[in-house]
Amino acid sequence: MTKTKEKSLYSVWFVVPSLVIFLVFFLWPVISSLYYSMTVWNFETATFNGLENYKLFFTDPAMSTSVPHTLLYAFATSGLKVVLAFFIAIFLTSSIKSKDFIRSAVFFPNLVSTMAVGLTFAYMMHPTKGLLNVVIKGVTGSGVDFLGNPSTALWSIIATDVWKGLSISVVIYIAGIQSIDQSYYEAASIDGANWWQQITNVTLPLVAPAQNSIIILSLIGGLRTFDLIWAMTGGGPGFATDVLASVIYKQYAAGFYGLSTAGNVVMLVLISVIAFPLQHFLNKREEAIR
Amino acid sequence: MKKLFALALVCALLASMAASTALAEGKPFDGVTITFWGGQAEYNDGTKAVIAAAEEALGLHVEVEINPGGSEGDNILKTRIASNDLPDFLCYNSGSKLYDLNPSRCFLDIKDWDLVSRVDDAFLSSVTIDGAVYGLPQSSTQAGAIIYYKPDYEELGLEVPHTWADFVDNCAKLKEAGKTPVYFCGGETWTTQVLFLGDYYNIQAAYPTFAEEYTEGKAKYADIPAATRSWTKYEDLVDYLNEDKSAATVADGNFAIGVGDATHWFILTQQLPMIVAEAEDQSQIGVFGVPGDNPENHGLTVWEPMSFYVNKDSQNIDAVKAFLDFYYSEDMLNLYFETYGANGPSCIKGYELPESVCDAVRVDMQQYFDEGKTTPALEYVSPIKGTACEQLTVAVGLGQMSGAEAAAAYDEDCKKSAVQLGYNWD
Repeated sequence: MTKTKEKSLYSVWFVVPSLVIFLVFFLWPVISSLYYSMTVWNFETATFNGLENYKLFFTDPAMSTSVPHTLLYAFATSGLKVVLAFFIAIFLTSSIKSKDFIRSAVFFPNLVSTMAVGLTFAYMMHPTKGLLNVVIKGVTGSGVDFLGNPSTALWSIIATDVWKGLSISVVIYIAGIQSIDQSYYEAASIDGANWWQQITNVTLPLVAPAQNSIIILSLIGGLRTFDLIWAMTGGGPGFATDVLASVIYKQYAAGFYGLSTAGNVVMLVLISVIAFPLQHFLNKREEAIR
Repeated sequence: MKKLFALALVCALLASMAASTALAEGKPFDGVTITFWGGQAEYNDGTKAVIAAAEEALGLHVEVEINPGGSEGDNILKTRIASNDLPDFLCYNSGSKLYDLNPSRCFLDIKDWDLVSRVDDAFLSSVTIDGAVYGLPQSSTQAGAIIYYKPDYEELGLEVPHTWADFVDNCAKLKEAGKTPVYFCGGETWTTQVLFLGDYYNIQAAYPTFAEEYTEGKAKYADIPAATRSWTKYEDLVDYLNEDKSAATVADGNFAIGVGDATHWFILTQQLPMIVAEAEDQSQIGVFGVPGDNPENHGLTVWEPMSFYVNKDSQNIDAVKAFLDFYYSEDMLNLYFETYGANGPSCIKGYELPESVCDAVRVDMQQYFDEGKTTPALEYVSPIKGTACEQLTVAVGLGQMSGAEAAAAYDEDCKKSAVQLGYNWD
């Protein structure tokens, strides 16, 4: 008994401050939001109404369509970033001229605020005055209503998100690729592996830890995205680009605090259900390589 | 103890000095700063002129914070109410949106103020909840109507339509003549609701008990033909809209109607001063109500103006009251309407708008008021309004959804609002 006491280097009291912060500002809000999500709440009185808010959330098309939109948005942006950033990183780690300049140029979009990017792209996609449509009309004769047509609106925002968010993934990939020991490549080339074989058999497996971080970060970022969509379409036209976060925001603005809290619980559950198993799976993959 | 007494004496001396200097200059509120929160439309040139005059006459200073508007603005206001951080007075909607704020908790009941007796009853009923009066009209009334460019009508020899069929006919003729018959601002979604909301005159004409039954959850848009019509009217217009209908903004609309790039625009007449400012001459701009099916009964759906509300816990209620008394003096009303223009007839009893106000208000809109063919918009007679209304009107306006589908979806949306407001609709 005394022996274990001597062995513990730090007292438990060291943990208490952060534990208190965690309990008060994280765990308690999560638990109380579970209660408020089952009420009609106006900040003063909360009337319990069971699972009515959840039922409403999943039956009203104005809200329920946000779930598939969120999933599509998260997986599409994450997938595109993982693939595109990999090739850009390969290019930027190869022996090319003015590498430093190109690397900064690739990182540049990430320095601009999301609102500014959103407004700029929304204007470029304007059906009559936008730069993109002026060019498209010059070539094909008729324009594309990128953000006004429900079948293209979400994809237009996804493309903007990828343009803006790609650079972070590129930076992580570059760090990962540069930490790969050159001797692997030498060994592979002695064995007669060509450029493509070196990428698939040396770079790709050894960059997996970096890739895992990118997948997790971009996927969670995509699931809780709000600012870009709000700046570009506000969830419209109709509900074609509404995601969970924008729906929650709208319900809050309408004064439906209970319903909005229910939306937040749905988002918490959705992110947890996707992120934890994914993390687990990716960790397994990393260990298998080792 | 001695020190404390001396301190009190000094304070009293200073206070009396301050009071006497203020009295000497005739500025009772010298050095008082009152805070105000309101949108760009309320803090317009007219308001600015009146505030400047009030600062001169009363000595107080008005500190202004701008409301970004829309749901952003609602969020800010609701957060500030919840955190007891309201300005001394503010501008916000009257009618159903006032209900959402739970006003007894945050706003002063002003029913004892003399000013209240000067305001007409239609306005007062939109700011009275449980016998308490909370607001005073920031501006004049306005309508949800069709603002049009008169030279196009003269050029093609068209008449102001008194039925919806005639209106669509006019649109067809305008399109044939190479004009853009109707302007649609999908870039600012709230504007797209105006056709639907402004059609309420026709619903209540055909179905007088609609508002009551709707509030009780008995009348549905999808079931009552006159109400479904408000949604299907969008379908009739799909072919007559501007090319950038999905992205156009209100500023684009002001310009398009002002210079005649488009002929009609379903919009609140609060845009009139800005449209007239774009036009070559104010007489080129006209207004008519959303037509129904009965040519004998073509009326106007009227909105009450935004209101001034006073923070119940303000330290400066006296100064705010003095400012508002000043705001509603005849001279200041004239100054306001001459500087900014009017959105419709005034809701101050016995007050006549100055000659400088445009014909669209003093002739076109006034005739509906004179004939008694006006009705308050649904949001002033029922506390329930679906929150997805503007998303639905955009979708049906752009032809992405049928009118019947939108009507049914809106019924569901209203049910959601009703449940959240504590109504039992099952």
